[in-house]
Amino acid sequence: MPQNEHIELFRKRHGRRFDYEERKRKKEARQPHVQSKTAKKLRGLKAKLHNKKRHAEKVQLKKTLKMHEERKTKQKAEDTVPKGVEPAYLLDRQEQTSAKVLSNMIKQKRKEKAGKWDVPLPKVKAMSEAEVFKVIKTGKTKRKAWKRMVTKVTYVGEGFTRKPAKFERFIRPMGLRFKKAHVTHPELKATFNLPIIGVKKNPSSPMYTSLGVITKGTIVEVNISELGLVTQTGKVVWGKYAQVTNHPENDGCINAVLLV
Amino acid sequence: MEKYNFKRITVVPPYKDLINIVLSKTQRKTPTVVHKHYNIVRIRGFYMRKIKFCQQTFHDKLTAILTEFPTIQDLHPFYCDLMSVLYDRDHYKLALGQLNTARHLVDNVGKDYVRLMKYADTLYRCKQLKKAALGRMVKIMKRQSQNLTYLEEVRQHVSRMPSIDPNTRTILLCGFPNVGKSSFVNKVTRADVEVQPYAFTTKNLYVGHTDFKFNRYQVVDTPGILDHPIEEMNTIEMQAITALTHLRAIVLYVMDLSELCEHTVEEQVRLFQSIKPLFKNKPLMVVCNKTDIMTLDDLTEDKQHLVRDLAEDGIPVLEMSTATEEGVMKVKTEACQRLLNFRVASKLNTKRVQDVANRLFVAFPKKRDDVARPPTIPQSVQHKIEKGTKRRKLERDIEEEQGDDYILDLRKEWDLANPDEKYDKIPEIFLGKNVADYVDPNIDQKLAKLLEEEKLREEAGFYHFPSDDEDEKELEAKLTVIRERRMLKQLEAVDKRNNNRSIMPRSASLASEHRGRKRKREASEGPSEGAATRSVSRAHGKPRSQSRDQSGLRDQKMITKAKKIGRKAQKERNHQAKKGEGDRVILNMMPKHLFSGKRGNGKTDRR
Repeated sequence: MPQNEHIELFRKRHGRRFDYEERKRKKEARQPHVQSKTAKKLRGLKAKLHNKKRHAEKVQLKKTLKMHEERKTKQKAEDTVPKGVEPAYLLDRQEQTSAKVLSNMIKQKRKEKAGKWDVPLPKVKAMSEAEVFKVIKTGKTKRKAWKRMVTKVTYVGEGFTRKPAKFERFIRPMGLRFKKAHVTHPELKATFNLPIIGVKKNPSSPMYTSLGVITKGTIVEVNISELGLVTQTGKVVWGKYAQVTNHPENDGCINAVLLV
Repeated sequence: MEKYNFKRITVVPPYKDLINIVLSKTQRKTPTVVHKHYNIVRIRGFYMRKIKFCQQTFHDKLTAILTEFPTIQDLHPFYCDLMSVLYDRDHYKLALGQLNTARHLVDNVGKDYVRLMKYADTLYRCKQLKKAALGRMVKIMKRQSQNLTYLEEVRQHVSRMPSIDPNTRTILLCGFPNVGKSSFVNKVTRADVEVQPYAFTTKNLYVGHTDFKFNRYQVVDTPGILDHPIEEMNTIEMQAITALTHLRAIVLYVMDLSELCEHTVEEQVRLFQSIKPLFKNKPLMVVCNKTDIMTLDDLTEDKQHLVRDLAEDGIPVLEMSTATEEGVMKVKTEACQRLLNFRVASKLNTKRVQDVANRLFVAFPKKRDDVARPPTIPQSVQHKIEKGTKRRKLERDIEEEQGDDYILDLRKEWDLANPDEKYDKIPEIFLGKNVADYVDPNIDQKLAKLLEEEKLREEAGFYHFPSDDEDEKELEAKLTVIRERRMLKQLEAVDKRNNNRSIMPRSASLASEHRGRKRKREASEGPSEGAATRSVSRAHGKPRSQSRDQSGLRDQKMITKAKKIGRKAQKERNHQAKKGEGDRVILNMMPKHLFSGKRGNGKTDRR
C-alpha cells in the first residue's frame, strides 16, 4: 500500500464503521426510488438519454435472469448435429473468403453490356436545377444572371484549370470539391477511404455527370488498388464503381457501396 | 520541491463524461433559437458558432491535460526513471502523443466543417452539417477513451506518490526484504510505515523526515531487493534500484545477522557486493539489525569474517536492534553526521565555494602582554555573592512541597496592627449595616480635612452676601438703559429687513388678501387694474382679479377678435399634439424610413 493512501490504511487498521453493511444494504434498497424520482424529473434530451440507458440496462438484466432460469431448469439435450459441422478430414480446408476471388471481371463486363444497373439504391430523388445551382448575378449593375454556382459536392479531375471569368458558366467552388470517398465492400463488410477517379453517372441529369456533381445515388469510379483485388487472370484491379449512399453535401463526406 | 509536486494535476474525465461536459457546454454557451426564415447568413453563423465552440472546448480540455501532465524528459532523472518503472514510459508517452494527435484531428474537423458551412443554403443543410461535425469530433474522442482512463489512473497514482526531493539531505535504506528497514524508519521518523513479519511488506517508496543538528533529513525506505540481475527484477525492486541510482544520499545497507529473513549472511553479503556499483560516489554504512537475537560476536567464525571484511574495506559497520531500540539513535546520528560531512566536502570542491573563500578573512587577535585583566565586580556585589543570599520561599515552592494538600492561603500575608486578628472571621452584615460601607481606614482624617476647608471658606467670606449700595444702584440704572437701546436697535433692524422683502406675485397676494396690514395699504393706494374693472372693485371695496385673456381689451368685440386669433394660433399646435408652446419634444429623432437604405440622387428626405 503506497504511503499516501490514508483511507485504505485506516480501513486496514481499524476496519469500517459498524453499521457499514447495514447502511450499504439500505442505500441499495433505496436506489430504485431514487432512480424513479430522477426519471420523473428529467425532461427533454436528458430524459431521452436516460431512458435509453435504462432500457439497455433492463434488457441486460432480463437476459441474465433468463439465463439463470434456463440454467436451473432441466432441458432436453439436442441430439441433432448442428448445421455446418464438417467431418474431421475437411476441417483444415478454409473457406474462400479472401477478397482476391471476389473480383470477377467477366461478371462486371456482362453487366455493363446489358446496360442494366443492379445497384443498391435503384431509386433516387431527382435533383432540380434550382436545387443544384445557385444563380450568380454579374455585371456592373448585377443585372446579368447567366452564371451558376454548384451547391452540391463535386469531383473535379486533376489538372483542371478554371476558365476565364467571362466564359465560366458553372463555378464549382473549392470548398465543395472532394477527392476521396469512404467505400464499403459489401461482402468484406469493411470500409476504406479511397480516392475517386471520376463520376460515372449522376442519375438526375447527364449535365451533372459531366460537371462531376456527386449526390445520393451517383455512381462514382474509385481507385481500389489499395485493396489488392486481383482479376482471375491475375491482374490487379485498379478502378471499380461504387454508388453513393448518403447526401454528401449534408454530411461533409462521401459514403459509397462498392458494386461487385 | 515546487517542481516535483504532482498533486495539482486535475482530474482527467473518462470518455463518456468528457463528451457530456463538452456537448452540454456547447449547448449552454451558444444561442439556441434559430428559425428558417432568418437570413441564411445568420443561420450559417449560428451553426458555425456551435461547431467552432465545440472544437475549441475540446481543444482546451485536451490542452489542459497535455500541459498538466509532466513530460518525462523534463523531470529529474530519479522521477523520470521512477515513472518509467511504474507506468511504462512508452505507454505514457504514447497516450499523451495520441491525445495530441486527437487534438489536431478535432481542430481539422472543425475547420473543414466551418468551410463547408459557407456553402450551405438551407437551415436543414446547416443543421445536418453541424450534427456531422460534432459527431465526428465525438468519434475522434471515443477512440481516445482508453488513453483517458489510463491517464486518470496515472494521475491518481502519481498524486499519491511520496514527495521525495532528490536534491536534499537523504538517508536511503536498502537490503533484503524483511531485514528491518521499515522498522528503522518507524523508529527514526513519523512516517508510519507498515511493518509485518513477512517479506515484501513494503511495496513502494516511503519517505519520512527526521532532525539532526537543526537540519531536516529525509529518510527514504525502499522495498527489499533480491539478489538477481536487473533484467529479472520486478517493478517493486526496480523502485529501490531507481532510488539507489539517482538520489544523492547516504546508503544504509541493512543486514539481518539472525537470518530470520530467510537469507543467510553470505547471501546478504553477496547482494551487497552485486549492487555495490550503485553505491559509487555515495557515503555508505552497513547496519546489522536484530542484535537482540544475534550480535556480531555471536556469529560463527567464517560469517563474522565476512562482515569484518566489509569493515576492513573502510565501510563502517554498526549494530542496532529496532526491537529494543538499542543503537538506533547511534546509527541515525552517525549516518546524519557522515552525510553532512560528505555534503560539506563535496560542496567545498565546487568553484562557487572557492570564489567565496577567496574573499573571506578570519582574524585571530594576537596577545598583547601577559597582564591578567579579570572582570571588575563591585564590593557590595562581591559580598552578596559570598554571602549567598537565600531566595524567599514563594507560594509556588510551598505548593510543590505539599503537593495535593496545598491550599492557597493569602491571609497570612495580611499586615494588621494586631497580627492575632489575621484569621478572624469578618461578617458581611453587622447590626443591620453592610460592613463594607464602613470600611475606610482614613475616615477620621477625611472628616478633619473637610472641617478645615469649611473653616477657611468662612474666613474668606464665601457665605457673605453684599448689602444695597449707592454705586450699585447707579450701575444697575445704566445697564437697563443700555439694554433698552440694544432692544430698540434690534427691532429697527427687523423692520428694515421687512421693507426689503421681494415683491409677491399677484396670485400670492390674492391668497394673502385677508391679512390685515397688507389690505390697508392696498386700499389706500387704490386699484391699479384697468378702467374696465374700476367700478367693480370700488363697489366691493377691494381689487377684484380679472381673467387675463380679457385684461387690456376694450370691449366685447375686441375680446371676441382676440379669442379668434388665439384659437387660430393654437390650431397648428393641436394638430401636432403638443402640450403648449413650451413643448418642443421630437418623439422620433431618427425616423427609420429616413435613415435606412442607400441614398441616391435627390433622396435626402424621401426614401
